[in-house]
Amino acid sequence: MTTTVAQPRTPTSEQVTDPGRPRFGAALRWETRKLRAQLRARALVIGAILAPIAVVLVVHSQPRPPKDTLFGRFATENGFAMALLVLGVASQWVLPLLTAIVAGDIFASEDQHGTWKTVLTRSISRSRLFWAKAVVAVVFALLTLVLLAASTIAFSVLIVGAHPLTGLSGQTIPASSAVALVSTAWASMALPMVGFTCLALLFSVWSRNAAVGIAAPVVLGLVMQLVGALGGIETLRPFLLTTPFEAWHGLLAAPRFTGPLLESVVTSAGWSVACLTAAFLILRRRDITGG
Amino acid sequence: MRRFIISVAAAMLVVLAVGGAVVAGDGGGSSVTRARLERSLPVAFANLYADQAKLLGHHGVTPASLHAEAMCDKGGAVEDDIGPGSNWNCLVSWTDPANPMPPEGYGKFELDVHSNGCYTAGGSSKLVGYQTITDTKGDVVTNPVSEFDGCFDPNGDNTPTGNLFPSLTSVTTTALLPDADHRISLQLSCGTGATGCQGMLSAVAGSTKLGSVSFDIPEEQTAKLRIPTPVPAGTDAVDFTLTVTRGTGPKGPVSETSLDMPAG
Repeated sequence: MTTTVAQPRTPTSEQVTDPGRPRFGAALRWETRKLRAQLRARALVIGAILAPIAVVLVVHSQPRPPKDTLFGRFATENGFAMALLVLGVASQWVLPLLTAIVAGDIFASEDQHGTWKTVLTRSISRSRLFWAKAVVAVVFALLTLVLLAASTIAFSVLIVGAHPLTGLSGQTIPASSAVALVSTAWASMALPMVGFTCLALLFSVWSRNAAVGIAAPVVLGLVMQLVGALGGIETLRPFLLTTPFEAWHGLLAAPRFTGPLLESVVTSAGWSVACLTAAFLILRRRDITGG
Repeated sequence: MRRFIISVAAAMLVVLAVGGAVVAGDGGGSSVTRARLERSLPVAFANLYADQAKLLGHHGVTPASLHAEAMCDKGGAVEDDIGPGSNWNCLVSWTDPANPMPPEGYGKFELDVHSNGCYTAGGSSKLVGYQTITDTKGDVVTNPVSEFDGCFDPNGDNTPTGNLFPSLTSVTTTALLPDADHRISLQLSCGTGATGCQGMLSAVAGSTKLGSVSFDIPEEQTAKLRIPTPVPAGTDAVDFTLTVTRGTGPKGPVSETSLDMPAG
């Protein structure tokens, strides 16, 4: 991850005219280094790989399948169903939490340690620092998602087995196409996860408090889920950032429907842009000299 | 202070937005509709029923050969058929030569439908069997149709399917209990269906006619019918004739049933 995002850029005209000003790449590199030094970031990466093994083993050993979640019915005898069961549970609060632990802290930690003045006196502009932090948080979120997805799918199939999967229209999906569908379902989590990252960034900038930055997006996620599940106010559903977490259902139905996936792109992008813009404006207008 | 005011204002805005949506919404914006369920449930059912037939070794059952159709209803006659809830009932009819349907022509499924368009359906064990079945190899396996999950497209076709099934009138009383005047009463229930239940119940004790009572019961409700004439002393059993003019009866339009009088 670090090698791809922190690669030194080719010299630009900007650098020539302003040799003393650090480039965006340098800011990215600092932020990546800071993140790599954090114990919790490392713990998250390791957890994303190891936790699914434990979950799969525990669920697999249950005498009765957990029928109350989609695909739980077949989870103890079908690896693909197990991977989708874990997906359904993870999207409820695990994914927002995974990204918020890093993104909710990334700005607030500068407040906590009183280091705003130090980083800004390296004569990096505030906007470059903002984008560097935002990019690092988003890349980290996607990295943990990829690791979690790969680990879940791999160990579900290894431990429970790859059998034909019963889809959401009762159809039988052969194991060969089930792999692709389950992977696509996991991939569809990327956009809402970026949305939650941006939400956590906003809370991190606005609250200047890591606890708020981490907890608020998770709590908001749970509230949105509750609102989305209530009857009578379903007109709100398309605007909730938790709705995209359920867009994958259409992939497992026959005939397949992708309308919710398209809507999820709009919803996630809307939330991401709105949160990033608000965070950016708050940080720019902020008086840091007193810090 | 300014941040505090902004956050309070933001919180109030959210509460107002949700509150406004509750008032304005009134279920009208829900993607959970009767037509979408009626299109989705038979497809899932037919696929799974064919799986069950394969497990049981019944040949010639394919999802298409079943011609499954459904009529769905939420909360009986008193509630609109829209929105998520655990009070959806769907009547499903299908054709399996090895397993003929009961006279009413359908089986009832109880559905718990979520706002995201996914549902859990449980079928009546009389028609689809219990949770586990024994397959052709002698293994005890999960019955795929006894309970299953499905999802429909929240933007899918919402034009009414026009599937209508009659309500089933049935006698729920199992033992007669005469009152102090030796009069008896019988409880009838009217099941889920398009029509509600109307008809006539007449009772005969041996050779004595006890008269008849007409009934008109809305769907998913019960009614207690009191037979006007007292039962003569020494009667062993009372024969009832249920003539259904609207909806259907347990054995078609006219059904007969007999209940013993308590000893003494």
